[in-house]
Amino acid sequence: MAAGYAWFLVLGSVFLCNLIKSLLSSISSFLSKMVQKDAEQESEMRAEVQDMKKEQASISMMDEFARYARLERKINKMTDKLKTHVKSRTAQQAKMKWVVNIVFYILQAALMISLIWKYYSDPVTVVPSRWIAPVERLVAFPTGVAGGVGITCWLVVCNKVVTLGLHAVS
Amino acid sequence: MESAEASEEKTGSLSSAQRRAEIRRRKLLMNSEDRMNRIVGFAKNESENDVGASLRPTEHGFHLDLERTEPWSSSSSSQRPSPFLPEASALGSRSHSATPERRGSPLPDYSEPPGGSLEDDLGGLRQRPRGERASDDVSGSPRRGLQKYLSRFDDAMKLRGQLANEKPPQDGGSEPEEFDPFRIFRLIGSILLAIFVRAFVCKYLSIFAPFLTLELAYMGLSKYFPKVEKKTQTTVLTAALLLSGIPAEVINRSMDTYRRMGDVFADLCVYFFTFILSNEILLLIGLETP
Repeated sequence: MAAGYAWFLVLGSVFLCNLIKSLLSSISSFLSKMVQKDAEQESEMRAEVQDMKKEQASISMMDEFARYARLERKINKMTDKLKTHVKSRTAQQAKMKWVVNIVFYILQAALMISLIWKYYSDPVTVVPSRWIAPVERLVAFPTGVAGGVGITCWLVVCNKVVTLGLHAVS
Repeated sequence: MESAEASEEKTGSLSSAQRRAEIRRRKLLMNSEDRMNRIVGFAKNESENDVGASLRPTEHGFHLDLERTEPWSSSSSSQRPSPFLPEASALGSRSHSATPERRGSPLPDYSEPPGGSLEDDLGGLRQRPRGERASDDVSGSPRRGLQKYLSRFDDAMKLRGQLANEKPPQDGGSEPEEFDPFRIFRLIGSILLAIFVRAFVCKYLSIFAPFLTLELAYMGLSKYFPKVEKKTQTTVLTAALLLSGIPAEVINRSMDTYRRMGDVFADLCVYFFTFILSNEILLLIGLETP
């Protein structure tokens, strides 16, 4: 028959999955920052471009056109380099996000399948069947135990409640 | 002396010329992006017009021939490229948030026609053929079909723009549920009722009977709460339904019904969860025997 705390185990699993789902973007950005090696290079390039622009602003174009033009070319070159760098970084971030999402969904599916497999024939909790009439069969699916709460019904209910709770908190 | 004055004037004029040249150059550099956008928009409009013009002969050749042989005035025929001239002139005044597709739209419904000249041209473009329709029934249905196609195309472009402007969904993939006061009231009511039912009522009747009563009460109470206008999101599904010909009113009503069903389902889940949780807590404390 039903284990004493099966309902709590299912509730905890659903809560954990939803919590991690809400933190997926933070996790993927954290992992991409860890993996990325040349993060400082980008900030250095930005600072360099800023300095060159400041220098250019201080130069009079008419008086020192050659220097102005040289600086302009350097700025353009550095900006193009920076753009390429940013592009590769965002592509890497997108890839990391995709990988993290895939891994999470696989793990979640595995957890749900294992829970359903474990509690396929045992209800997570049992109440008198007249309490949950006339839908006792639907609630008890797939256990078939009179008055039992089946894993599927409990999973759906917990998922909805946890989603509402997390949304209210966030 | 005179030569010195002349040279001074010359250098002064040179520097002023240089100054003007410099101002022109800076203006060109600053506006280069705007000019490029206009050019790209202009080029896109032309290419769309060319595509449309090339499509029409292939699909409705005889219909197009009829249009061309109709006695259009020289002003209207010369105004054939005019949709783009007023477009180009109005671009400076119009905001740049409009998409190039909308700018190039040949139909008056979704663009901002400058001064109504575009509408007149297109009205003439459409109305004149209508006058001739009585004489030629064969071309009536293809013409209507073409107009329907064009209107659907414009609907599709507009919906595409709306979809692009819509906020992207959250990473979880589920729709964000908004907590308005009535929704919070419903949820709290469900929780309280579940606790009350577990404590006093469940021994006598099914737990779903009080829940149904509660939902009926909510239906009556909903009018006393401030109605929050929920913005209908343009999703791919609603866009596909709109394009397939289903009226927007029907879609809105269906979405509203679906939303209400979702609210009832959420209430049921919270109610049942609270009931089971309170039952388990009572069993744990030992106040009730299983």
